[in-house]
Amino acid sequence: MSEPIKVTINGQEFETEKGARLIDVCREQAFNIPSFCYYQDLALQASCRMCLVRIEKMPKLQTSCTITCTDGMIVTTQSPEIEKAQRAMGEFLLANHPLDCPVCDRGGECELQEMIFDWGDVEERFVESKNATPEKFLSPIVANDPQRCILCKRCTRVCDEWMGEDAIEAGNRGVNTVIGTYGGWLDCSQCGNCIEVCPTGTLLDGTFRHETRPWELNNTISTDTYSSDGMQISIGARGDFVHRIAARDRYVDGLNGEFLDVKARFGHGFINHPDRLKTPLIRYKKGGKLIPTTWDEAIHYVANKFKEFGKDIGVIASARLTNESIFTLKRFATEVAGSENYAVSDAYDLSPVFDNLSVPLCTHKEIRHAKTILLIGGEPEEEQTFTAKQIRQAVRNGGAKLIVVHDTPIRLTAQASQFIHVNPNSLDAFALAFADQADDTITKKLGAAASEIDEVLKTIGETTGDFIIMFGRNLSPEAQALIANAAGNFASENRRVLLHPLPLYNNSVGANDMMAGKKSVADVLINSRALLIGGSLSQPAKLTDGYLERKEFIVVQELFATATTAYADVVLPAASFAEVDGTYTNNTGFVQRVRQAIEPIHQAKADWIITSMIAREMGMDFGYNYSATAAFKALADSVPAYAGLRYPHLKDESKPVQAKYQIAGEKDLSKELGELRRRVEAITERSDKIIETPKVGHKLHRLTTMTEKTPQFHLLAHGNPKPENLLVSPMVQFNLDGTPKIAEKAEAASVGDRISDVKRSAGTMIDGKV
Amino acid sequence: MEIKAIGCEPLQLKRVHLENSHTLKVYQENDGYKWLRKAMDMSPDAIINEVKASVLRGRGGAGFPTGMKWSFVPKDSPKQKYIVCNADESEPGTFKDRYLMERDPHALIEGMLIAAFALNSQTCYIYTRGEYRYLIDIMDEAIEEARAANLVGKNILGSDFSCEVYTHTGAGAYICGEETALLSSLEGYRGHPRMKPPFPAVEGLYASPTVVNNVETLTAVPQIIEMGGVAWRDLGTEKSGGTKLWSVSGHVKKPGVYELPMGYADMERFIMEDCGGIRNGHNLKGVIPGGSSVYIMRADDVIGKKVLMDYEGLVAAGSLVGSGGFIVIDETVDIVDSTKNLTEFYKHESCGWCTPCREGTDWLVKIFNRIASGGGRPEDAQLILDLVDNIEGKSFCALGDAAAWAIQGAIKRFPEDFMPYLNGEKTTSIEPKAKTV
Amino acid sequence: MASVAPTYYTNQVQVTDEAASFSPSVLEEMDSHLAKYPSERKRSALIPLLFVIQRERGYVDNAGVNFLAKFLDLEVTDVWETVTFYSMFNLRKIGRHHIQICKTLSCRVMGEPEITEHVCNKLGIYVGETTADEKYTVSLVECLGSCGTAPMMQIGFDYHEDLTTEKVDRILDSLK
Ligand SMILES: Cc1cc2nc3c(=O)[nH]c(=O)nc-3n(C[C@H](O)[C@H](O)[C@H](O)COP(=O)(O)O)c2cc1C
Ligand code: SF4
Ligand code: FES
Repeated sequence: MSEPIKVTINGQEFETEKGARLIDVCREQAFNIPSFCYYQDLALQASCRMCLVRIEKMPKLQTSCTITCTDGMIVTTQSPEIEKAQRAMGEFLLANHPLDCPVCDRGGECELQEMIFDWGDVEERFVESKNATPEKFLSPIVANDPQRCILCKRCTRVCDEWMGEDAIEAGNRGVNTVIGTYGGWLDCSQCGNCIEVCPTGTLLDGTFRHETRPWELNNTISTDTYSSDGMQISIGARGDFVHRIAARDRYVDGLNGEFLDVKARFGHGFINHPDRLKTPLIRYKKGGKLIPTTWDEAIHYVANKFKEFGKDIGVIASARLTNESIFTLKRFATEVAGSENYAVSDAYDLSPVFDNLSVPLCTHKEIRHAKTILLIGGEPEEEQTFTAKQIRQAVRNGGAKLIVVHDTPIRLTAQASQFIHVNPNSLDAFALAFADQADDTITKKLGAAASEIDEVLKTIGETTGDFIIMFGRNLSPEAQALIANAAGNFASENRRVLLHPLPLYNNSVGANDMMAGKKSVADVLINSRALLIGGSLSQPAKLTDGYLERKEFIVVQELFATATTAYADVVLPAASFAEVDGTYTNNTGFVQRVRQAIEPIHQAKADWIITSMIAREMGMDFGYNYSATAAFKALADSVPAYAGLRYPHLKDESKPVQAKYQIAGEKDLSKELGELRRRVEAITERSDKIIETPKVGHKLHRLTTMTEKTPQFHLLAHGNPKPENLLVSPMVQFNLDGTPKIAEKAEAASVGDRISDVKRSAGTMIDGKV
Repeated sequence: MEIKAIGCEPLQLKRVHLENSHTLKVYQENDGYKWLRKAMDMSPDAIINEVKASVLRGRGGAGFPTGMKWSFVPKDSPKQKYIVCNADESEPGTFKDRYLMERDPHALIEGMLIAAFALNSQTCYIYTRGEYRYLIDIMDEAIEEARAANLVGKNILGSDFSCEVYTHTGAGAYICGEETALLSSLEGYRGHPRMKPPFPAVEGLYASPTVVNNVETLTAVPQIIEMGGVAWRDLGTEKSGGTKLWSVSGHVKKPGVYELPMGYADMERFIMEDCGGIRNGHNLKGVIPGGSSVYIMRADDVIGKKVLMDYEGLVAAGSLVGSGGFIVIDETVDIVDSTKNLTEFYKHESCGWCTPCREGTDWLVKIFNRIASGGGRPEDAQLILDLVDNIEGKSFCALGDAAAWAIQGAIKRFPEDFMPYLNGEKTTSIEPKAKTV
Repeated sequence: MASVAPTYYTNQVQVTDEAASFSPSVLEEMDSHLAKYPSERKRSALIPLLFVIQRERGYVDNAGVNFLAKFLDLEVTDVWETVTFYSMFNLRKIGRHHIQICKTLSCRVMGEPEITEHVCNKLGIYVGETTADEKYTVSLVECLGSCGTAPMMQIGFDYHEDLTTEKVDRILDSLK
């Protein structure tokens, strides 16, 4: 597709590639063409008929979204004829569109509104009455005003092509066509991508409904604080209140375009939640109460106490913190306490991967264009949703082959060309097979036939282009080391091999980078008398509680009171990601900016500031001067993979910067191999494969300290019950535990859409059909 | 109802009057399946060339040369190839395919098999509109008979040519007559038309090369093999070969299916003599010659004008052959009412995919309702013409154009029917029982 | 008591997981439809099978949709999008005899309005309604391909053509 050709647009000649899409070419050359249904990388639709242009030698006006450029094509994008047609389409779209922009949540950022305003001078010729349909709910999170719909079907296409869920579809015919579902209720992962791509106010963010007008929001570009994909988001705040999170504009691309998942988009309720810690707290006596205090007092108290422990201080950082904060915690351990007792609380240790890299990490763009993808364990559709979307599109739109090796038939297997269904907890055995160490006992433990493995190797062998290996967290460290090291063996002249680990937290990779030489959490817990914990521990309580109880002094930097703060002697209120500047490193090694959207809530401070305040009080000045820029500079100067990076280099997320990881090359892994063999041999053979496909959202909708602060997540976590009345928000029809509130109450709480209105307009919903 | 040929020997209608004409026995007694045998001795290219020479133009409405369509199929493609018979017949005023299938089902099967042989296809589907359930039963029976006689299925007539013929049902959607929408529907989806290119001949059913042909087109194929392409063409004119079925309905004394040679002269004689003339005591007001989607003609465009009944002749007369649904109306018909009726049809049948057709037809129906109930304004004529112009040529498929033409023709050619409404001098009473769709 | 919005509106269909079951002979018929299409294109059988469901269950009900979705490996919403497109499928219960009067041009000019009025008066219902005894439903439909024998109506799948009011009486009286 790279043959250069010439096309003439509005009398000017341009060079482009053969097969380039005309609408894109025109737009690149700043001839703006209005469109609604066209959406890059989604199936073509050509239904809105907005993008009409005149092409010489072709009858009729043509839709530029469907035309691929050929040499010598002569195109006109602006003429009275075209303007008439485009105005006409605008007029048609407005015919049944309620002109309720003043009360529409999309008002101000609606593509239809924008287009009509741009044309200006629109005369209303439609005097008949409109086909009215009232506003309703499709789920606790998706509000729906069907009458505003222009049927561009971006929503149904993203649901199908991005999410692979097919949850929302078009029903009925002709002018009665509606976007919806069977039964009217949306039982899906609630990613909200349909809301995002909707050009009008038809699908609306149920958590944002009627909160504020879009133009009153201050939008700050930042990075998602949930998933390791590092999706780019836009935090919309008014004053010091975060009202919503949306994706970045698809034309000013972050790596994820308009894609986000349910947590990234809707899980922001925690930021301004009333439960946020307001002041520093000290528990003067073990067993006593946490008592509010001032920062001065708290820092002074902590520093004095810590001085008693010296090397016996252990430091644990959460993988949710920014690189700056984790780096500062590590410095605290090494430079202030003089101890090697530091750890990341993420149970999944990435160092076996990064220490044995034989090939580079891949980017999400490379996943989209990969030829073969091997997924070993993991569940990207629940944890790394953007990775999952890229996989689906690679398969659907790019014809890539997906091989899934898993003990559970996860939903992605629907896209797979090969699924090796292995025994529960036997993925380690596959690592051996992958490293060409398979034998009969191993395939037996694996519960797969040798021929299945041969087929994998055959598919890889036939791949020209990119071959990507992804693996989840259910592999032992040795297995990961082995895979990371063996990957290079598959590279050849026309095959590039790339690696894509699937860690859980937004900054798992950064935490691994920042804490070189880290210990395990258990080691730190055992070898310390006092603890400084940034963020709470994510290990199950049964593993940590016994230790925490016995520590002499524990300081926790946190947003909320948690199971960990229950053991703390001092709790210091930390600022959330929306309140700080910093960086996260995602699972492709991109170092991306976190930007301050609002002032820290109450008395909260950034984690790295808190840590440096303690250090300074103990006589060590890290020299950051409370500037995130300086903290990052110090970090970059100390961590080799980040050498030379500065904030200005990270300014433009459409060109993300990858940390430079050392490629290890051939390595002797006989020790790991031996250990792994022993492990695999110890696996008990079994024949009870897991046959149930996990339900959509079983991880995404789980309530956590953060997501539980968004009320809608409670209904999702309780099975997303369908309310009796779809016109009233489910949030007033159910208690948070999913039990219905009594009917009268639900009705009394409904605003606006009175039942009598409903009856009147009911006839229009039923499509004239019997 | 009349079913007969005029001005030529009956070809399409050769067997329809025979008793049990739908059975294999009667069909074979009348040379049935002989032409399949003959075709199977020819080379595929030779068959296609005969069809090309015959200048057979698609009888479904678009009039695209059938031989040319067949030659677009990439013969060396490794994919399965499909022959799909378009028996969706939903164009208002059209009912010829129905009688062909009812009385001569084997002719259709034979035509499909010849097409399949010429195009190296092993599977044929007959997509019949869902309302024609009894025809599907007739076809199924005929297919079974043919299968029992080794005319359908494996190794047909002992050769190495195998071909299956299946029936498939629609479920009430005019748009599924559009060939790409038909394929979507045949795949079990909503009947939305698809983008062209790729044309079905290259990427049709199941993304494989597919030929979609009308029933009458396919039943003509055995005749072409029988007579030879040139001889068949010479029944008609140079550019419009062969004979054509016209479904005549409305205010004539003898409505029915008539087979006329292409180029039959003239339309006036056809209406006034062959169809028995206008019902007693009334006069011709207009004719919609090619199914509801074409321009309506006024009586004065027909009377004394010697309109030739073929593709060129009707274009010259300001209309189209379309599907040959010949609707004759007398002076009792109010054109505003009849146009409203057709607009409602297009609104109901618009698939809803593209903006101009979906919103435009809905809006037009609203305007017609307003006008009919006394809310007409003088500027409405211009408004309607402008809306129609905004649909025509901008819609995704030809249904939008069809709706536009039906309205354009009426309003341009019968202003005297519209003016009283637009000047507020006339209303129609609102029907008592019929709720609008 | 608080008024409650009609169920059909607030919840277009009451959706449950319950799936219909069919007798072996019906299943066999379904398989015979499936056999017409390539095995990886099961969805092609959707429309023919919906007719079977409609015949067996009176209309395309929730349990029938659930059954079909399973039978063809589809999501219920996939079935929904298709079934609502086609005008011959009923998503709600209708009368035993579905009287469908053609209202398009040829029938209209040949006397459809009189026929419709006659039928409605005789049954005492409006177009689009079902008689109280659930015996008849009257609908107006678009051209059914009987223009030459207009006016016409279809009852169930049976064509009744060249109608007059007397003929309509005879036909309706003969229905059980
Ligand atoms: C809206 C619309 C409806 C159509 N309906 C029919 C139909 O009912 N029957 C038919 O044979 N062709 C119909 N056609 C024409 C088909 O698209 C196609 O041209 C035809 O099936 C090709 O067969 P032919 O070449 O034998 O005519 C329709 C076209 C359009 C645009
Ligand atoms: S013109 Fe558009 S809306 Fe109308 S039937 Fe064709 S695609 Fe559907
Ligand atoms: S963008 Fe081309 S038709 Fe919609």
